[in-house]
Amino acid sequence: MSSRLLKSMFAAAGLAAMLWFTLAPLSAQPPPAPAQGAGPGNGGVPAIFGSGVRHVPGGPVQHLSDGHPDMQGFWNAGNNGGAVFEVQNHPTGRAPFFGPGKGAIVDPADGFIPYQLWAAAKAKDTFENHLAEEPELHCYESGVPKQLYVQFGFQIFQPANYVVLTWEFMHAVRIIPTDGRPHIPADIKLFQGDSVGHWEGDTLVVDTTNLNDRTWYDTVGNFHSDVEHVVERFTEVDTNTINYEATVEDSKVLTKPFKIAFELDKNTDPKYEQMEFACVEGNEDVTHYTKDKGGKADVKLK
Amino acid sequence: MQFKFAVLSAGAGLLLAALPVLAHHSFAAEFDVSKPITLKGKFVRMDWVNPHSHILLEVTDADGKVTTWSFEALPPNVLFRQGWRKDSLKAGEEIEVEGFQAKDGSANAWSRSVKTADGRRLFAGKPDALPPGAPPAPEK
Amino acid sequence: MSGSILAAAVALALLCAAPEIVQAQAAYKAPRTADGTPDLQGIWQVRNTSAAFDLEDHAGALGIPPGRSVIVDPADGKIPYRPEALAKRQENFKNRQAADTLNKCYMPGVPRITYLDFPFQIFQTPKYTLITYEYIHIYRAIFTNGSPHIDGLDFWLGDPRGHWDGDTLVVDVTDFNDQTWFDAAGDFHSDKLHVVERYTRTGPDTLRYEATIEDPAVFTRGWRISLPLYRHTEPNFRILEYECQAYADEAAKSSR
Repeated sequence: MSSRLLKSMFAAAGLAAMLWFTLAPLSAQPPPAPAQGAGPGNGGVPAIFGSGVRHVPGGPVQHLSDGHPDMQGFWNAGNNGGAVFEVQNHPTGRAPFFGPGKGAIVDPADGFIPYQLWAAAKAKDTFENHLAEEPELHCYESGVPKQLYVQFGFQIFQPANYVVLTWEFMHAVRIIPTDGRPHIPADIKLFQGDSVGHWEGDTLVVDTTNLNDRTWYDTVGNFHSDVEHVVERFTEVDTNTINYEATVEDSKVLTKPFKIAFELDKNTDPKYEQMEFACVEGNEDVTHYTKDKGGKADVKLK
Repeated sequence: MQFKFAVLSAGAGLLLAALPVLAHHSFAAEFDVSKPITLKGKFVRMDWVNPHSHILLEVTDADGKVTTWSFEALPPNVLFRQGWRKDSLKAGEEIEVEGFQAKDGSANAWSRSVKTADGRRLFAGKPDALPPGAPPAPEK
Repeated sequence: MSGSILAAAVALALLCAAPEIVQAQAAYKAPRTADGTPDLQGIWQVRNTSAAFDLEDHAGALGIPPGRSVIVDPADGKIPYRPEALAKRQENFKNRQAADTLNKCYMPGVPRITYLDFPFQIFQTPKYTLITYEYIHIYRAIFTNGSPHIDGLDFWLGDPRGHWDGDTLVVDVTDFNDQTWFDAAGDFHSDKLHVVERYTRTGPDTLRYEATIEDPAVFTRGWRISLPLYRHTEPNFRILEYECQAYADEAAKSSR
């Protein structure tokens, strides 16, 4: 075997192990106890994409007094084909950023975003020349549906007449009223859009409009317009598992809608807590982005 | 879903293992991932800020010139959950930081790992535990 | 005068002289949530728009409404600074445009976030009281299950842990950094800050917010503020977004 192939295999094992470790948890061995005064832990295992705790199927779905499934707790996006890097199929990856992955698109079957021609060209140009415009680089919220697959996971709350989702990452929030109210007027565009939810049996259906065009689907410039319309379905299948899917329409950018789907896995660490993630004041990354990527610094290396 | 991943660049498994952590921006647009650097110096302090902590290192070159390098590390919340504390490193302590320099050539870098004089290895840029069957973790 | 008439006269005098006593005894009984805790849920906002500029008595200035002090203890309405801290406060005031971290779109700290002129929404579940703020999409998830404070990190908004004291939600907040001010006039604290918030319903659409502030590095004693919060009753009201950093970025772009 060539050394290059060997390196490939080693690297593949390393990355696969890393992703397996983070996306589809670890051994059944109980995590080490947190140190004295360690505060909110996750058994000593770092929470990056997730808690690192092995995803095992849970017990039967429990219901709240209002009759709806109790989905409350901490969740992480499970196997999503590297969607956070690139939401669509990326069979050759984008060196040196990341390797191949299927992304999270299940329809169309080829896994690619059905861009209009002008939009495909714009996405390419953004990746090649304007990575400095990445929304999260500027501490913005991630928009819909990207927020669902960002790192560090999120928390679901189910107070009366609402479902509220909170993310440690960028302290992002999505408030979803389930009281049957209409959307806000179309003139108001928001990073997280305006969501209204209703229950179809045990599935929470969330309809989101009023999104602004300042968020991406991923880190490489796949984008949407301000007429994006997303319908998400959250179906809890057991206490540790939610099936998530989102249908995305965007008549300005797409030739037809596309659908993403992946599992949400529960973080079962009883000590886990989300903590404050302030962002703006510590953000020095923007200043280091070089001009060839749309930033302001000069390239001095390589 | 099946994943197939191949090598990205000359980096080893450790390099690739570091990348998924940085999914909120295109790490390789900011740092030169083709040439890892290792710097030895005096630990000045650590800034526990979001989105990235910074490890400040005073490096003296062969001519006696002193430069303070800033190495980006994982967010404080993640480091805290990994077991890092504000007293994990002591001011003035000699440490070795391995990472990738910013492409703008400034004294800024991303830190992959921190090694102390007594041989403790603290991972700033990636988790310090790997599942069974994975390539062996770096020596402790 | 006979004893009973004297007693009646005294009672009448007391009633006239101290109506607050009567009010306190007729405290509003808030409705309960499904799990029996007082229901603080809803979208709330201050009407006092001057406290965020200056907590103490202050005259108006261009763009700044005048206001009475919201400090109820000490009774003189002044923040009880240590002498060297008072000097720092005056210096802060002089440099306030540059030195107030709020102007850089950083997190406002606690209790300042409560009296910024933006609505916030309180949600309650059995284990948490969750407050989501329109101002830069901040959220505070307040455990009400007796869990301890985090030990070893500090935060812009501190670490909040709550419990119910009768009809009042009491939130104990520690682990602050020293980067925030209490208002735009330079009133500041150290990282030893300890805040105890109290949220009490006072009527169908009103809530009393109190915060007791202690910081032995800066103040000679603890002090307390009190402000009413008002419910948004407009149909289908919802909090929107105030994305300070995004607006600042846009402004920077267009000024080039």
